[in-house]
Amino acid sequence: MKLSKKIVLAEDNSILSKLLQFKLEKEGYQLLIATNGKEAVDLIEGNEPDMILTDIMMPFISGLEVISHVRNKLEKKTPIVVFSSAGQEEMVLNAFNLGATDFMSKPFSPNELIIRIKRLLQ
Amino acid sequence: MVELLQNIVEALNNSHPIIQFCTYLSLFFIAIIILLVIYLKNLRDRLRIKGRIEATYKKKYEAELIEYLYADDDKNNNLQQQQIITYFKKSSENRLKRKLIIATFLKLKNEISGETSDAIQNLYYQTGLIDSATSKLKSKKWDTVARAIRELTLFEIKEAHDEIIQLINHPKKEVRNEIQKYLVKLFRFDGLEFLNVLENPLSEWDQIQLLEILNKFNNLEVPDMNNWLQSTNNSVLSFTLKLAKIYNQYGVKDEIIALFNHADIQIRIEAINVVAHLGIYEAVAVLKEDYFTRSLDEQIAFFKMMEEMAVPDDIPFVRDHIENENFFIRISVMKILNLITVDDDNTFKINTTATDFTIDKDLTIAS
Repeated sequence: MKLSKKIVLAEDNSILSKLLQFKLEKEGYQLLIATNGKEAVDLIEGNEPDMILTDIMMPFISGLEVISHVRNKLEKKTPIVVFSSAGQEEMVLNAFNLGATDFMSKPFSPNELIIRIKRLLQ
Repeated sequence: MVELLQNIVEALNNSHPIIQFCTYLSLFFIAIIILLVIYLKNLRDRLRIKGRIEATYKKKYEAELIEYLYADDDKNNNLQQQQIITYFKKSSENRLKRKLIIATFLKLKNEISGETSDAIQNLYYQTGLIDSATSKLKSKKWDTVARAIRELTLFEIKEAHDEIIQLINHPKKEVRNEIQKYLVKLFRFDGLEFLNVLENPLSEWDQIQLLEILNKFNNLEVPDMNNWLQSTNNSVLSFTLKLAKIYNQYGVKDEIIALFNHADIQIRIEAINVVAHLGIYEAVAVLKEDYFTRSLDEQIAFFKMMEEMAVPDDIPFVRDHIENENFFIRISVMKILNLITVDDDNTFKINTTATDFTIDKDLTIAS
């Protein structure tokens, strides 16, 4: 039996997380949801995900710190997609400098996100 | 115990009047503090209960909304969608629930685009929330009207345009501000039609907000600004001059030149400032002609403009002001003369060196 790919989603907007969970699970992915950066780091360390989706602004630990932790401390090459809002262009550049793979600017289309995930996990 | 109380009362009655007064005052304050503590505890309990109720409903509405959107993927699931619509419709009859439903819709709509966002907007129509918002536009309370317009803006309800535009000269500036944002966010440059009918001043902050919204849109066809540059509302003129500058509207040069004779000095100065940016060389001759009849601020603005627009033919006029009493004019004159050098044989050259920032290398090394 083929194991579904694991994705960690770090997002503090509960309803967006739920929507993405429905959409991604329908596509056959296993989604692990974290509501803040700290939970995201715990999930990443404990589950070896195939991909990480993270918002930039989150409670406790920001998305940038999550990327830094994955790239520098865990030394993993897991693809990381960053969600940014308007006015966070500087932070997106910082995210890329830290090792983010791709970014999506909010508001984004969930269908477009799925296409990007599929492409990155190929 | 009773005896002790009797003794205290007796001792109090026999004490000095000041001590009696202080004791009664202390008792009064103690009573007030006790009442306040009871009231605050009650209030906190009520807020906690309200918070719990809100959290429960929020969770419920989030689940229902996701269910609705998820069912949207399956074309055979229309019955389930219809049930959710009915549920939201019934719930929205209650004021608190309606507020929570709208907050839930917006919480997701602000984060996503495309089909899902359209589906939420569709749900907003189907649940009748749009009717509730549009009916509030007729409210006598200005804050209710402002909130309704903001809601319609967030849900991008273009159908409310005709009702909203009628309120453009509302006495409350908060309402006017919401209307302006509604029009520009949803109709972009076409929304600026309100400038034709705006009677109240458009504050500097309002202008910044509108420009910021317009700045987010690319490849827009800029509308004709001639009418706005003939407006009797000075703030409209000021805003249009900013638009002309940002969107390089050289086509309105005649209207801008006409503003050199406007009654308001601020408008005249703003018009002069736009001239240099758009490169309206015809304006130089017009301003030179009646230079001496203009105010000092206009003269300063004129020379500031000439720093970028002066041509060799202007040099004699500029040179006449090298000993002007005003410091800013003298500085501008020197900058212009420094930029354009007319030689003895009547040829000229444009000095390309950035005169302001030349560095004396020897001096730098020495220091």
